[in-house]
Amino acid sequence: MVEQDLKTSVKGQILSIKDLPTLPKVLDEVSRLVQDPNANTDEIAKIISRDQVLSAKVLKMVNSPVYGFPGRIGTVQHALVLLGFNVVRGIIISTSVFEMMVKAMEGLWEHSLGCALAANVVAKHAGLADPEEFSVAGLLHDLGKVVGAVQLPELHEAVAAAVREQDLRWFEAERAVMGFGHDRVNAWLARHWNLPGNIREGMSHHHSPETAQLYPETAAVVHVADFIVRVYEFGTGGDDQAAPLSRKALEVLKLKLPDLDRVLDEFAVQLADVSDLDLA
Amino acid sequence: MQKIPLTLAKPGMKLAKAVTRDNGMVVMGAGMELTETHIERLRGMEVDRITVEGNPVEGADGVDTSAAKRLERLDHLFRRMSGDPWMDQVRGYLNEYFRLKAAEQAARAAAEGK
Repeated sequence: MVEQDLKTSVKGQILSIKDLPTLPKVLDEVSRLVQDPNANTDEIAKIISRDQVLSAKVLKMVNSPVYGFPGRIGTVQHALVLLGFNVVRGIIISTSVFEMMVKAMEGLWEHSLGCALAANVVAKHAGLADPEEFSVAGLLHDLGKVVGAVQLPELHEAVAAAVREQDLRWFEAERAVMGFGHDRVNAWLARHWNLPGNIREGMSHHHSPETAQLYPETAAVVHVADFIVRVYEFGTGGDDQAAPLSRKALEVLKLKLPDLDRVLDEFAVQLADVSDLDLA
Repeated sequence: MQKIPLTLAKPGMKLAKAVTRDNGMVVMGAGMELTETHIERLRGMEVDRITVEGNPVEGADGVDTSAAKRLERLDHLFRRMSGDPWMDQVRGYLNEYFRLKAAEQAARAAAEGK
């Protein structure tokens, strides 16, 4: 049971509050307001807007082509109405960990952004409602790698070494070294931050979309998006290999390989636009 | 299509995408051929980057989305997948997609070169 012990102790280390990226206080306040049936978007927007740096970053993100409204959203209020609270919350989380991500693993921010864009395009072509929600799941899909790098630097280094020396994909190397992957870390994080179920399953099941229980579409979209961004080698998730593409994921989305033509066409055109989006 | 820093823009390059301000206002439309005056004006508006047709700048940062480059990289990316019939099928599909796309892009570049 050595492996089990390692997992339990690692989970404790990962979630140890002292080093976990701190989310802005406004997020707590806003989350509380959302539960309140009497609160309205105006009040929520007002609270977010009090933090000017944060609102500027949020507006920069929502106006990128990733969400399909490039350059058209002028206020936090408008963003909330158009994208919904869950999306705005996911964006706040990603902007809060942006600097940490850029430092932890080179190319991971670009990979995440590319995955968010691909998720949006895949969701649209699969005819799914609210493609923005899928973008957010794509944006956060590798967060576990960042937190792993920060909280467990020695293990992170061992994973990187296994990728280099044994030509493994990052996910394979994680499981070889630690016994579990960033998908598991994602599940812990998503629970810890109380993220909605669809975003949680997108994050925790993008490597195993066939086992997603509640939101198979989200898991499938993020899985296919991750595959696509790797084919384009936009940024890197820690290795330079294609990921296995789940046949089941395509089935869930009712897509066949030739249907990817239009997805790839659109993705390639929009990629040029997100390539220099940084939040520093 | 390539997104390049404005410092590398040269007269004769053609905008593949409109240049817009942060608020979404279009400053110059797609398809416009840049002149020295245009480039000066963009500089004055503190535009950092523009998207131009073709891949005129070698080694510019950003991503090489050209189909020819993607086609060239497929073998490397799929190096550990061979022997899996489904992934072979996926690679075959991508190979065909990027091959046709590369031909289309080459033909367009040739037509514009005239």
